Amino acid sequence: MKPVLLIAGNFLREHRWPVLILFAWIALTALAAADFGRGRVAPDDVVFYVQQQALYICVFSAFLAADAIHNERRSRRILLLLSKAVSRAEYLLAVILGTGAMAAAYAVMFALCGEWLTARAVLPSANLWPMTALIVAGSIVAATVAMFFSTFLNPYVATALTLGFFSAPAFLHAQRHRWSVWLPGLPILRQVVDFSFRAEWHMRGTAIAIALVQSVLFWVLAAAVFERRDIAVPVE
Amino acid sequence: MPGVLVYESVSKDYGSGIWSRRRVRALDGFTLSLEHGEIFGFLGPNGAGKTTAIHLALGFMRPSLGSGRLLGKPFGDAPTRRRVGFLAENVALYHRSAQELLKFYGALNGMRPHRLRLRCREVLRQVELEMEADRNVARFSRGMQQRIGLAQALINDPELLILDEPTSALDPLARVAMRELLLEVNRAGKTIFLSSHLLSEIELICHRVAILNKGRLIKIGKTDDLLVSRDRYEIIARGVAQDGFTRSRMLKDGRIELIVSADSQRDALQRVWAMGGEVLSVNPARRTLEEVFVELTNREDGG
Repeated sequence: MKPVLLIAGNFLREHRWPVLILFAWIALTALAAADFGRGRVAPDDVVFYVQQQALYICVFSAFLAADAIHNERRSRRILLLLSKAVSRAEYLLAVILGTGAMAAAYAVMFALCGEWLTARAVLPSANLWPMTALIVAGSIVAATVAMFFSTFLNPYVATALTLGFFSAPAFLHAQRHRWSVWLPGLPILRQVVDFSFRAEWHMRGTAIAIALVQSVLFWVLAAAVFERRDIAVPVE
Repeated sequence: MPGVLVYESVSKDYGSGIWSRRRVRALDGFTLSLEHGEIFGFLGPNGAGKTTAIHLALGFMRPSLGSGRLLGKPFGDAPTRRRVGFLAENVALYHRSAQELLKFYGALNGMRPHRLRLRCREVLRQVELEMEADRNVARFSRGMQQRIGLAQALINDPELLILDEPTSALDPLARVAMRELLLEVNRAGKTIFLSSHLLSEIELICHRVAILNKGRLIKIGKTDDLLVSRDRYEIIARGVAQDGFTRSRMLKDGRIELIVSADSQRDALQRVWAMGGEVLSVNPARRTLEEVFVELTNREDGG
């Protein structure tokens, strides 16, 4: 497990600037939603802010994970990493953990800004933190699926496919079927779309549990594919 | 004792493009066994398949045909790589201090913090970068990056060191230092697999050499055996003029060096004596590795 944590930490460190920029982005959008601190904030604007940021975090995680292997291969840094006692499955797990940690940091920043906005809109903030947990779970499953696709596809195609993979069921009205709960990310997406600050909105733990199980399944699949891939670009 | 690194009829094919079904064979029925404690030189022109062979051993890619073993385990076994050090061609490093970088790579190999600290200091001294330990490697010159690359390969005190063009970015002085370091590592009982274009380096330090061309092994043997010519002799004589011998060279103290074919050796000796000269020595001629390399690759290419 130690190599996984080391590589995940290294991944975070390598992406520290995008994360800091995103922190600034969250703060700026919160300021914009609050009309730069003037006047009272409309409740609908806060709900929109929460839903928008929730989706952004998941999409950002998918982008990050889809590009991770490609970047490391292109820079050839992956060669030294995998010349150590690190299996490919461990490497992929490290990327997922790193992406998950980044999504968590992003989500916490979002929740803090959300607290500030709800206070200005005089809304109860009780639903914000459960929403944060949903976002982190959604980000992890998005990252894992994107990484799975990126093990055999170009990162841009992998990201596009991931976004299609998550959004297609919503467009196809598949969410009305009982089995749709097993579609990756859909239970979380449904909760994000239905989000409100009212007491009737409850975070469903099953959505998080399903997302985590699906993440493990896609990680196993990704590892099986990646194990068979040539990672070294022929340089000769 | 089984070979430290063994290739058994390994072939590797690459696809030539996304849409093309054509396959390019980078390595063709490659068989090789590295013995414990030797420095093995791996030569070949660009595109010969040297890097492919190294990447297969480390599990970066899978053979299309055949199999191989690294320290007794099949290629790609992650725990076995704990006992291996690897330096890639055009080394790419994370941008952090030299010391932090070495600790990171050492920890990936499961080294404990105390030993890692000591080893870190030791390898930085070995590659003469101890004064740069806290400097970010992004600000290092290419040569320094190559040396820190070698340091990360040595950090886990590996049994087998696999080096792909380790001296390509080094200046002549740094090359000498690297050569000395490799000899020191070898004296400590480590096996070294060294791929290089710098034939003089290989000639100076390798016990055995393999020459690869177009994915096929065309020659393997002890370096000395490869360099000694079977069909040419070197005669050192004194008291004769240089004229009259097609391949001759004046040496110090009035001595002359004659290079003659095996067929004309007797004739040349008789001419020296007939001219009143004295024969000092007759030995098989020694070629440079460059001559051997050019001759073999040209022969293979039909040149």
